[in-house]
Amino acid sequence: MELLDRYLEAVKKHLPWERQDDIIAELRANLEAQLEDKEAELGRPLTQGEAEDWLKQIGQPIQVAARYWPQQYLIGPAVFPAYWFVLRLAVFWVTILYMIGVALEIAVRSPSWTAAFEGVLRVPGVLLSTAATVTLIFAAIEFMATRYPGRWPAFAAPTGDWTPGALPPVAQEGARGQKPRSYAYAVAEVVFGFVFLLWFLLVPHYPYLLLGPGAAYVHGSPFQFAPVCVQFYWWVVGLNALQLGWRVVDLLRGSWQGPRRAQRITMQALGLIPLVLLLNVRDHAWVTLRHPALDQARYGGAMEAINRAIYIGLSFMCALAVLQLLWEIGRTGLNLYRKRAAAMR
Amino acid sequence: MTITENLFENLRLELRRGCLTLAVLAQLRQEHYGYTLRKALAKRGLEIDESTLYPLLRRLEAQGLLTSEWREEDKRNKRFYRLSGDGERIFAQLLGEWQDINAAIHLTIDNMQSAEKE
Repeated sequence: MELLDRYLEAVKKHLPWERQDDIIAELRANLEAQLEDKEAELGRPLTQGEAEDWLKQIGQPIQVAARYWPQQYLIGPAVFPAYWFVLRLAVFWVTILYMIGVALEIAVRSPSWTAAFEGVLRVPGVLLSTAATVTLIFAAIEFMATRYPGRWPAFAAPTGDWTPGALPPVAQEGARGQKPRSYAYAVAEVVFGFVFLLWFLLVPHYPYLLLGPGAAYVHGSPFQFAPVCVQFYWWVVGLNALQLGWRVVDLLRGSWQGPRRAQRITMQALGLIPLVLLLNVRDHAWVTLRHPALDQARYGGAMEAINRAIYIGLSFMCALAVLQLLWEIGRTGLNLYRKRAAAMR
Repeated sequence: MTITENLFENLRLELRRGCLTLAVLAQLRQEHYGYTLRKALAKRGLEIDESTLYPLLRRLEAQGLLTSEWREEDKRNKRFYRLSGDGERIFAQLLGEWQDINAAIHLTIDNMQSAEKE
């Protein structure tokens, strides 16, 4: 039957090449026997239409051939959980490290909007290449695990190398019943921390990012900031970078849910340093005149008024920061005392 | 096909997959070639597509559960399959497992039905 020959030839094209002839010979014997039965039942050969219906019912050649292939996965169910875990970790940390790299590059080289924009535009490419690399590595592991199952026991089957006691504790509610910080919240803190740092690093070059339309007025005004303000700025950058680093370490160690009292106290204490630095400026001159010889008579009074206002503001902020620090230290001490007392009961 | 029908079809295929293997192993305690095996199973109420049965025979042979040989019958070369020694042992274990599952399911259903009647 010519139609059957054509059908078998079409199936053969899609079979594993080393077994093609064997499979086709067997399939031919089975289908010819079936055809004989059908024709004996009808008492005549099948018509073209009947033969077509019969072969259609058996299935498309490519689908019939596909059944003879072993089940193949790029990444199979045994390896997939590890792959998914590593992929998420890799994508997350590559994003963080890439953003640190971009922020540093922008800060060190030439801070500009174009550089920041280009850095953001490169993110999808970086993520795609990370995902592709991880996928390729795990596809290779899957391949090896399938070919040499005995040598990849960790992926091929669950092992007994774990103890329930090593599992992380259930998240505890905060002292006042607040929910513990979620992973998403901790990640968002890190991401927005980077965005803030990036923005803050751009401010000296693009003051309108901070002052808006007022930047033009400051630029054309007879006043300028004293050099101590630059020191203050870099202190703030440093403190933010430190806090960010701390949060990144928390994420890396998996301790983002833990209490952050030590972190808060340290940051508040360090935050006092730039305030004290500003307060100790000689003559309380945070704002000076660009051209004192020319403008002293006209703007000298205004400059003094501005500096006086800054002094009052700074003193108030400093007092507030000290009180906040004392309050935090007191609260932490009290909590520690309560814990110790509870433990002794 | 609706979502429910699709779900049912997937579950049905999943349920059938293991049962078909068991039925094929049971039937191949006696020698058969592909087409007569298909007819024998159909006669007992278990219809299997050609494109499912013939590759399944190959897989079971590759796993060492079946043995096969080419032989001429009715002027045509055919590949005959039967259960191997390993196949017989594993078939007996699988059969025991299937009977336990079957008994447990029946027991569960009977309990539910008697609870509903009360």
